[in-house]
Amino acid sequence: MALNLDSKIPEGPIQDKWEKHKFNSKLVNPSNKRKFSVIVVGTGLAGGSAAASLAELGYNVKSFCISDSPRRAHSIAAQGGINGAKNYPNDGDSVWRLFYDTVKGGDYRSREANVYRLAQVANNIIDQCTAQGVPFARDYGGYLDNRSFGGAQVSRTFYAKGQTGQQLLLGAYQSMMRQVNKGKIKLYTRREILDIVVIDGKARGVITRDIITGDIERHVSDAVVLASGGYGNVYYLSTNAMASNVGAAWKAYKKGAGFANPCFTQIHPTCIPVSGDHQSKLTLMSESLRNDGRVWVPKEKDDKRHPNEISEDERDYYLERIYPSFGNLVPRDVASRNAKLQCDEGKGVGETGLAVYLDFRDAIKREGEDTIRARYGNLFEMYQRITDESPYKQPMKIYPAIHYTMGGLWVDYNLQSTIPGLHVLGEANFSDHGANRLGASALMQGLADGYFIIPYTLGNYFGTNELSKVDTTHPEFQKCEDKAKEQINKLLGINGTRTADDFHKKLGRLIWNDVGMSRNEAGLKKVISEVQKLKQEFWSDLKVTGTAVGVNAELEKAGRIADFIELGELMARDALARPESCGGHFREESQTEENEALRDDTNFAHSAVWEFKGASTEPERHKEELTFENVPLTQRSYK
Amino acid sequence: MTKSHNYFTSSIGKKQIMALTGFGLVGFTMAHLLGNLLIFLGADAFNMYAYTLTSNPLIYVAEAGLVAMFVLHLVLAVFLKIENSSARPQAYYVKKKTGRGETFASVTMPYTGLVILVFIVLHLMNFKYGTHYTTMIDGLEVRDIFRTVVEYFANPLYVAWYVFAMIALGIHTSHGFQSMFQSWGVNHPKYTPTIHFVSLAYGLTVASGFSILAIYCHLLN
Amino acid sequence: MSNKDMTIHLKVWRQKDRKDAGRFEDYTIPNVSKDMSFLEMLDVLNEKLVLDSKEPIAFDHDCREGICGSCSLMINGQAHGPEKATTSCQLHMRSFSDDDTIVVEPWRARAFPVLKDLMTDRSSFDKVIASGGFVSVNTGNAQDANTMTVSKENADLAMDAAACIGCGACVASCPNASAMLFASAKISQMALLPQGKVEAAQRASEMVKTMDEEGFGNCTNHAECEASCPKEINLSNIARMNREFFKSKIFSKKG
Repeated sequence: MALNLDSKIPEGPIQDKWEKHKFNSKLVNPSNKRKFSVIVVGTGLAGGSAAASLAELGYNVKSFCISDSPRRAHSIAAQGGINGAKNYPNDGDSVWRLFYDTVKGGDYRSREANVYRLAQVANNIIDQCTAQGVPFARDYGGYLDNRSFGGAQVSRTFYAKGQTGQQLLLGAYQSMMRQVNKGKIKLYTRREILDIVVIDGKARGVITRDIITGDIERHVSDAVVLASGGYGNVYYLSTNAMASNVGAAWKAYKKGAGFANPCFTQIHPTCIPVSGDHQSKLTLMSESLRNDGRVWVPKEKDDKRHPNEISEDERDYYLERIYPSFGNLVPRDVASRNAKLQCDEGKGVGETGLAVYLDFRDAIKREGEDTIRARYGNLFEMYQRITDESPYKQPMKIYPAIHYTMGGLWVDYNLQSTIPGLHVLGEANFSDHGANRLGASALMQGLADGYFIIPYTLGNYFGTNELSKVDTTHPEFQKCEDKAKEQINKLLGINGTRTADDFHKKLGRLIWNDVGMSRNEAGLKKVISEVQKLKQEFWSDLKVTGTAVGVNAELEKAGRIADFIELGELMARDALARPESCGGHFREESQTEENEALRDDTNFAHSAVWEFKGASTEPERHKEELTFENVPLTQRSYK
Repeated sequence: MTKSHNYFTSSIGKKQIMALTGFGLVGFTMAHLLGNLLIFLGADAFNMYAYTLTSNPLIYVAEAGLVAMFVLHLVLAVFLKIENSSARPQAYYVKKKTGRGETFASVTMPYTGLVILVFIVLHLMNFKYGTHYTTMIDGLEVRDIFRTVVEYFANPLYVAWYVFAMIALGIHTSHGFQSMFQSWGVNHPKYTPTIHFVSLAYGLTVASGFSILAIYCHLLN
Repeated sequence: MSNKDMTIHLKVWRQKDRKDAGRFEDYTIPNVSKDMSFLEMLDVLNEKLVLDSKEPIAFDHDCREGICGSCSLMINGQAHGPEKATTSCQLHMRSFSDDDTIVVEPWRARAFPVLKDLMTDRSSFDKVIASGGFVSVNTGNAQDANTMTVSKENADLAMDAAACIGCGACVASCPNASAMLFASAKISQMALLPQGKVEAAQRASEMVKTMDEEGFGNCTNHAECEASCPKEINLSNIARMNREFFKSKIFSKKG
């Protein structure tokens, strides 16, 4: 069965597509909405806003999350801000400019029509969140404050201190809890999705495991909305939360949903480096630090002296040397890749040798400690809390870390995957960010999908589809439940010698080394076979304690890692099949003479969509061609 | 969800009534202290003050109000204590204060309260319903409460108990006074430090004022 | 000096499920690095327990950067441990010394029943929010964001209150297991903003009602909640809630 990759982009000029599409969408009569039920998986910005909005319309929503409360979804950790094209600062912003910047920022690997719609509804998001009581920063006149973010030339970012994600999420969460109180949302916390149930070719439910009791449950609905987040945890160390996983999306892929561009992952250059084997996750430091910090490594390899003892002429300010015009402010991917190169050459610093210095000495000398404290005080404090070193007295150590995944389940203009009835929102879909996401765009996309797109397109799905009456006694539910239980028993029955975390760390290292910041054909081919080998070891040497009953964190982890191992292989395959460099995907074979990423628009201006063909068959790569009618294709340059 | 939830059964309502009655009692205590200072002026002044106070028919209304406030304060304290204990059925095995929150006064509220309760019962027995002497002032026969007081404090053990109870009262009110403002929603960066200071000063004044009087009376013997 | 020079002794609360009585178990962890977070130390212990075919310690955790509010450990009798304005996941082992014995317990409150070991059920917090911790605005209702101005002072105060992560440290550290700081943070945030003012009275009334029903204790103004709050939510929020609640009960027709 070939995947149906009809993107269903409406006809007409890009400015009118969404309005026209909304008008042409079928509506569900208000009194009929209560006859439809929707399962929403995930309660982050996308899932939370979708659950709330759909319930407000009158649908019966069942909402699932893995945490003990919907408020803990990892959207909460986003710091910087959310973009809107309000043009409040009167500095020349517009919907068109936001659209243009986002397509270009995504290195021309996103769908123009989707990105335009995103820019269009961005302003509604700001309005909606403000009305919910999200305490956005304000100026002394009481109006909303904006800042410029991630190198944007206009100030279009709205923020709530350094906790914008938290505040937006709580806004969605509160709207959701209001509907819980009204009985329109039934909340299922601490649930893991074990399978997506597809009946007559349509998504009709999920199989879940109650993390507390261990009960396997069946949930039926008329449509399923997946908003389960990204898959950054495939790298083991990432800025994702510990429970962030690809489980639901991966089960959907195996049920026939196309998985698009899995190799498009974003690596953020300024994270706090790993301090040892015990490290469980990485913490992001705002990239604004590069405005004043200078990046360097010792000129000599394995120089273990204290940084303050290394004199000026023994230091290599490599970004300033290689990119004299952009210096320390080169884009995220360039900064990340160069840090890796320095460390690969043995010039990395710190105990692990996997870090470079970000030095504020000169900035402090130039502007005074107080000025620097005013700018970065809270970041320096956070850094010191974690590392016990003061950035005022010695350089910070930083290293890149994975923090967002642009790839995900393929969706059409209606956010529907290749499985009818299965809609995918937020980071879980292959999104509007192309091959690279701009700062303050992720919050915007998650909320756009949940508040302003799915309420329309899901209505259209109900209005145009004949849904047979199905309940949880349907044999397909039995089949899915049996399969889920079989997997659990299999994991518990291996009784090997290595823990789930052990495998996860191994997988993370493999993927990080060869499907990380810089990729090449030999490495990708090698890593595919290594991951396959790891998969065999996993299924023969895994050790999971406890039983299927009650809380069993090891069992949860094992299930997630089983998915990550398979995804890791697909990421490598996707990276291998895309020999061009674009956005976060840098193929060493495709670079300019100045070592910059070189796109191949002739052959690769498309999204790669992978179709699952069975456990023992290689997946099939399909293409959705991308056309750029409104934003001309140009090569990025930092000159 | 059917459980009635009115102001008087609500957690905040109870707390505010606790504060309101506390406020009344704090006011009474201060007035009482000021009146007692007349002891320093001698027997006649104090006895005349007591007479004037008790001969006014409004005293019964005032006393009834006082008793009501006291009983309400006490009953609510018992309720709150029971509810608060049941809110944590299993205690921590190790519990350490942060040092930035709880104070000795705040932690000991129920105990200092209990001391005050015992004290008030004894106090009424010893003085209000104690030995009834009379004396003549300007041809008027009045109760010689001054003598009752002075005789009572002849016993150093009684003085010690009295001082102990007054210290308890001082501690109790030093938390209660400022707590009352918080319960009624008065918390402001400009004024709260002052309220805390006044609260402490009040506790100190009450404890030392009454204690000094007791010691003074002892020395009169 | 090597970084891996500490031996840590743990006394950890182990409880099979809700009904189990529970008990402490002792563990000794060698080679603890000062750079480890407290939870990473537990990871190391758990890894060893699994390899020894013993059941690992269950505890709630997720973001590990102090914002999701999942982690919830009573460490040596203090909510989130000895450091000020710190969650358990941000607490590093350098706060302890070699050969220390650390007692780890779950939050203890009637409204937070223990599910297993150090995991508790904090859904009572969700119920408090569900009963009124929101602005009743449906998606699509909103006017342009700048049609309503908010003074910077109030916006900042609202943000300070909104910083609550719902971890429950306030309840855990309160001698009365009271949730006043939690509830007041939301009531306060909304009462400070014009968007939330419309239903301020009803919100206070409903949220306090739910809070009382869930079995939290009463506030006796110890301020231990404020002292152990990892986000330093201020006690003035409780005062504001007290005002709002009184107004709702006295002036509103429904209250």
